[in-house]
Amino acid sequence: MAEYEVRFASHPEPIGVPAGTLLVDVAREGGIEIQQPCGGQGRCGRCAVRVESGAVRRRSVLRLSKSDVAEGYALACQTVVEGDATIEVPPPEAIERRLVTDHIAPEAALPEGYDPSRAQTIRRVEIRLAPPTMDDQTDDWGRLCTALRQAAGIETLDTTLEQIRSLGAILRESDWHVAVTVDLGTNGAPRLIGVQPVSEAATAPLCGLAIDIGTTTVTVWMVDLLTGRVMRQASQYNQQIARGEDIISRIIFASKGDGGTVLRDLVLETINEMIRAMGERLDIGRDHIVKATISGNSTMMHLLLGIAPESIRLEPFITPINHLPRLPAGEVGIDMNPAGVVDPLPGVASYVGADITAGVFASGLRDSAETVLFIDVGTNGEIVFGSSDWMVTCACSAGPAFEGAGVVHGMRANRGAIEEVWIDGGTYEPTYRVIGNVAPRGICGSGLIALVAEMFLTGIVDKGGHINQTLATPRVRRGLHGAEYVIAWAAESDTGEDIVITRVDIDNLLRAKAAIYAGFNVLADRVGVPLETAEHVLIGGSFGKYINVEKAVDIGLLPDMSWDRFEFLGNTSVKGAYLALIDQAARNEIAAIASAMTYIELSADNSFYEAFTSALFLPHTDLSRFPSVAAAMT
Amino acid sequence: MALSGIQIYKMLPQTNCKECGFPTCLAFAMKLAAKQVELDDCPYVTEESKQQLAESAAPPIRLITLKARDHEVAVGNEVVLFRHEKKFFNRPGVLIRVVDTAEEAAITEKVAAASAYSVDYVGLDLRLDGFVIEAASGDPAAFATAVGAVRASSGLPVVLKSDDPAVIEAGLKVLEGEKPLLLGANSGNWEAMADLAKQGETALGVMGGTLEELAELTEKIQATGVEDMVLYPTASAMGASLAMQTQIRRLALKNFRPLGYPTIAFAGDGGNPARESTLAAHAICKYAGFVVVDTFAPELIYPILVLRENIYTDPQKPIQVLPAVYEINDPKPGDPVLVTTNFSITYFSVANEVEGSGLSAWLLVTDAEGMSVLTAWAAGKFDAESIAKAVKEFGIADKLEKHVIVLPGHTAVLSGELEEELPDWEVKVGPREAVDLPGYMKTVLT
Amino acid sequence: MPIEIPVDKWPGTVNTVTLGATAADGGTRSKVVTIGGERSLPFMHFENETPHPPVIALEMTAARPGDWSQVLLDAWGDVVDDPARWAGACEEAGADLILLMFGLNDADGNPVTPDFAVGTVKAVLQATGLPLVVLGPGQAEVDNEILVPVADATKGERLVLGLCEDANYRTIVASAMANGHLVLGRTPMDVNLAKQLNILMTDMGLPLDRIVMDPTTGALGYGIEYGYSVMERLRLAALQGDAMTQLPMLVNPGYEAWRTKESKVGEGVPDTWGDWAARGTHWETLTAVSLIEAGADVVVLRHPDSVTRVREAIDELMTLETA
Repeated sequence: MAEYEVRFASHPEPIGVPAGTLLVDVAREGGIEIQQPCGGQGRCGRCAVRVESGAVRRRSVLRLSKSDVAEGYALACQTVVEGDATIEVPPPEAIERRLVTDHIAPEAALPEGYDPSRAQTIRRVEIRLAPPTMDDQTDDWGRLCTALRQAAGIETLDTTLEQIRSLGAILRESDWHVAVTVDLGTNGAPRLIGVQPVSEAATAPLCGLAIDIGTTTVTVWMVDLLTGRVMRQASQYNQQIARGEDIISRIIFASKGDGGTVLRDLVLETINEMIRAMGERLDIGRDHIVKATISGNSTMMHLLLGIAPESIRLEPFITPINHLPRLPAGEVGIDMNPAGVVDPLPGVASYVGADITAGVFASGLRDSAETVLFIDVGTNGEIVFGSSDWMVTCACSAGPAFEGAGVVHGMRANRGAIEEVWIDGGTYEPTYRVIGNVAPRGICGSGLIALVAEMFLTGIVDKGGHINQTLATPRVRRGLHGAEYVIAWAAESDTGEDIVITRVDIDNLLRAKAAIYAGFNVLADRVGVPLETAEHVLIGGSFGKYINVEKAVDIGLLPDMSWDRFEFLGNTSVKGAYLALIDQAARNEIAAIASAMTYIELSADNSFYEAFTSALFLPHTDLSRFPSVAAAMT
Repeated sequence: MALSGIQIYKMLPQTNCKECGFPTCLAFAMKLAAKQVELDDCPYVTEESKQQLAESAAPPIRLITLKARDHEVAVGNEVVLFRHEKKFFNRPGVLIRVVDTAEEAAITEKVAAASAYSVDYVGLDLRLDGFVIEAASGDPAAFATAVGAVRASSGLPVVLKSDDPAVIEAGLKVLEGEKPLLLGANSGNWEAMADLAKQGETALGVMGGTLEELAELTEKIQATGVEDMVLYPTASAMGASLAMQTQIRRLALKNFRPLGYPTIAFAGDGGNPARESTLAAHAICKYAGFVVVDTFAPELIYPILVLRENIYTDPQKPIQVLPAVYEINDPKPGDPVLVTTNFSITYFSVANEVEGSGLSAWLLVTDAEGMSVLTAWAAGKFDAESIAKAVKEFGIADKLEKHVIVLPGHTAVLSGELEEELPDWEVKVGPREAVDLPGYMKTVLT
Repeated sequence: MPIEIPVDKWPGTVNTVTLGATAADGGTRSKVVTIGGERSLPFMHFENETPHPPVIALEMTAARPGDWSQVLLDAWGDVVDDPARWAGACEEAGADLILLMFGLNDADGNPVTPDFAVGTVKAVLQATGLPLVVLGPGQAEVDNEILVPVADATKGERLVLGLCEDANYRTIVASAMANGHLVLGRTPMDVNLAKQLNILMTDMGLPLDRIVMDPTTGALGYGIEYGYSVMERLRLAALQGDAMTQLPMLVNPGYEAWRTKESKVGEGVPDTWGDWAARGTHWETLTAVSLIEAGADVVVLRHPDSVTRVREAIDELMTLETA
């Protein structure tokens, strides 16, 4: 048999091997380490190398794009030598960036051509008032209004008693040269936020907040309203969790005694802690924060505003209010300028709230002539199917598994969270990637998805999600909740405990994914438009910044479509809130979206339950819906 | 071809004006597609769209109503072959046959008993719908006497059965102001029978051994102006009748008008209840509009009426088990009471886990309208009040020495209120998942 | 008027499954039972012939049943204390096959042992030439403990072993595969769950023609309509070509009907319920016939009179001739 010489860029000597040798074996021969997390099955793509020159044959190019192959990339575990060749082993980070199914959410960017002076509802107008005289007996307030009209064309102005009380002194102290901060409102009715001496205003920041209140996670972005740029982002678990993990528990808690007040205080505390921390960091005082847009599901919105949410959970599931007016910040209780304005975004129904209308706007679905599927995966999964012509939406209860809660070793997508896993199909040994490259503390939503997908494809769990206890590996064992699989031994974890996934965890995740997939099906059936006609699948939600589409398809969470149709958008709810904060046109469009969406109540008949049980399987009871997974299993 | 919601939506104004009572035009369009609203509810729909959307409104199987003094029975209007596709709408009328050659006293006794029969099934009052009076005598006077005897002892609707128009006419005269079914017309007598039906404005039963025979007759009769008909396929053996009933239903659903009528099936076998039980089950399951039995015996009629009720329930409702106390592994007075809802899958998963563990328990299943524990709890249908109500309703306390009740872990929040509702009970919170139940019972409860 | 009769042309066929093996095929049965093979909905003879009519199994227990209705005990008499005699009586009563049910205890009230199970199965096999279904008490550990030795001791008989359930199927399937037996899978009244269990079992390499499925039903008055529709839907899916639903269906109307209050209780019930013994048999018969209309291939009964009635109904349904 022919012998060929293979050269590695990092290796001094060429390595002689017979024709047909796998590149990984060539590398091993030369003492070069190539990672093979999936055990050389061509599934994970982590062993990609670049063939600089020479003849090789690729048995499989799974996970490589056409352009990757054109550039010479090949999977070392699936590629054999057919001639002399020169190979480059790229660093692992470089490979991960190339993999087509790893989707990283884009950072928030300013809209193209954004002009803060036009798009904003907040105006800071510098005005010089003519001081009063014995001849000019106009009152202070009238004088301010006139000057404002002349300077900025603002005809009427709302204010508060508090502001009127202090107006005279400020005008005189500043020698009638002031900066007036006004919120123009979306549909007229401008409101005075503050008057300050020009000297002070020149250096004073002018800030806003985009707030997304999730059942599990609350996110706050602090935004410079003068430029529209995001200055800082923060996320925390919603402190209400201590009073119930899911929406229903919260509603029930709110309906008992002073429960509503307790929950309101908890979410305010969650938000305000983040605002204070960011303020300290950026040196921005509360008075400089003059506007906040709020997004969140309907229950969270009601709880924040202290509106009793009880009717949301009881048939026929009606929200007290979907389109809320703008409110003075002082009444709401957010730690910002009390004269500032809080703008709660509009919702559609009890279980499709502002987080979805904002998310749909941020996703761009509304501009699409083609059919688009948008999902926001959190504790509830909300789904929107439609285009610029029509939109239907529904909500399904997924539980908190995707946010890393309700799972024994679950955690949020923070430092220390396992976010990607591969398992060697021969040895059942896992390899994982941890956010921040530190010792693992737990596993986040995307990590769970990857883990279950790998366990499934390697036969550690069957299609029903049962762990196969007959496997010869110490990683499968019996624990408190029945069978479990150890991902990280105590010695390698940051907590000093084994990190495991249990049968109950897997059941939880299966239910979560089944609820979402069933939602897709019911929506598509109800309008009579096949799911496969969706040109794009836009994913928002709480996975953190990363999701591996292939693995989400493997477990049957996402429909089996060409991977390039998926786009991962990250937290679209806060993005929508951010865009509404800095651009009133965006705010108006969100209101239009809220009115145009048709809500479908899934509990109206059996069809959701049917779709749910058939999705309660890996990847699905009807395997023909998942051809790529069927192919991967053989 | 039925239009989809989106197709209908495109013909609507798309203004989301909400005046139809739905939040968006698409919501309205989907209701239209499901035939749950009328197009007229939209004030702004164009004439052009109206025409496009006007599908044949007539139901594929005609609704036939028999009326008498105390009762009326309506059958037909079915739209599917299989109940799961939508539902079976109008329960078949269950009728008892009497023959005019029987002693008048015997007729009176049988009819009075059958007419008065009423049995409670899960709170429903189940009753028979009427009688078939069969003219075996061939004598109009004897028939009229029999009809009179039936009418004297019952106010339920009747079917008059004879192929002699003169006999039918004699019976019809007794039933002033009623709408009986005249059974029936055949190829020899159809004109006279049609006349009688027209005069009396009653429904006419049409007999035939083949589909062709039936269809030819109904067309001819319909041409005389009689609209209400019932088909009587005379094949009596189960195999043949199943074939005919199925073919009639299939053709009717394909809008083949000559067979678009409900059917009548004779499950009576000269009073052999053993065979009647199988024939009646067969007729109820497979498409009969009226089911006729010869024997009136409560032990036979009760299961027949229950089967009819079961087959004609709405299958779009979730699968439920009957709220009750279920005994698992022969429980003793010292064993605990576990609570769950009446959604079948929930019940099965709890029952199977406990059963499989060999541990004994009383499983209290509450009426949560067939929802799972979490869903029912979310919608307020599984709360302390409803659990306490079930505890009292099923009298479980009397069977126990130790009053321990275990809530599903997901509803731990109910424990305080349940303690208030059930002061004599010890309320415990079980695990969230059924799979953890055996472990919980072994460690916590013992 | 010529009428074109609508004929369904289905792409799918229900699997043909043979229960029991004669000496020629490595077993000892004098008679085998073949079920399945349908290419149409039940008894649509004008579309396709029904290759194998539904069959009737009689249920018997390994030890005298503690919870059977007195009506049943009266009907069977003292054979219920002797599995071999009971099996003979079942055959005499006209059963096509026998379902032997183990409880947690043996005849003396001690926990069942592998020896007891093997001994009882062998005694029944000796006493009858009919094919046999053997079910454990439904507790994973006990089932596995007794069914594995039974499977080993009766290699080649093509027994039907069960129950295989979602949470416990591996051991029974493996042992059936090793010994040339069949298995019975049961799922709780849901089309998807039935399919899922079939997928899991065939994923282990068990051929489809060695599985019978029990989609579970309710008795008349106690949820029969759910079981009925699940069976209709499974059969429609099978005919439409979905391989994982193309299994013959076994249901147990005897068990379901005879545990209802209507059949089990004779005293303190409303007069409108009528005669107890007759009511019980009607309850069982109506349940069984309805399920046969929905596509049952095997109905398991408990009362000998029901066997006669259901047999008559099946015979009648199998012919297009007018009686």
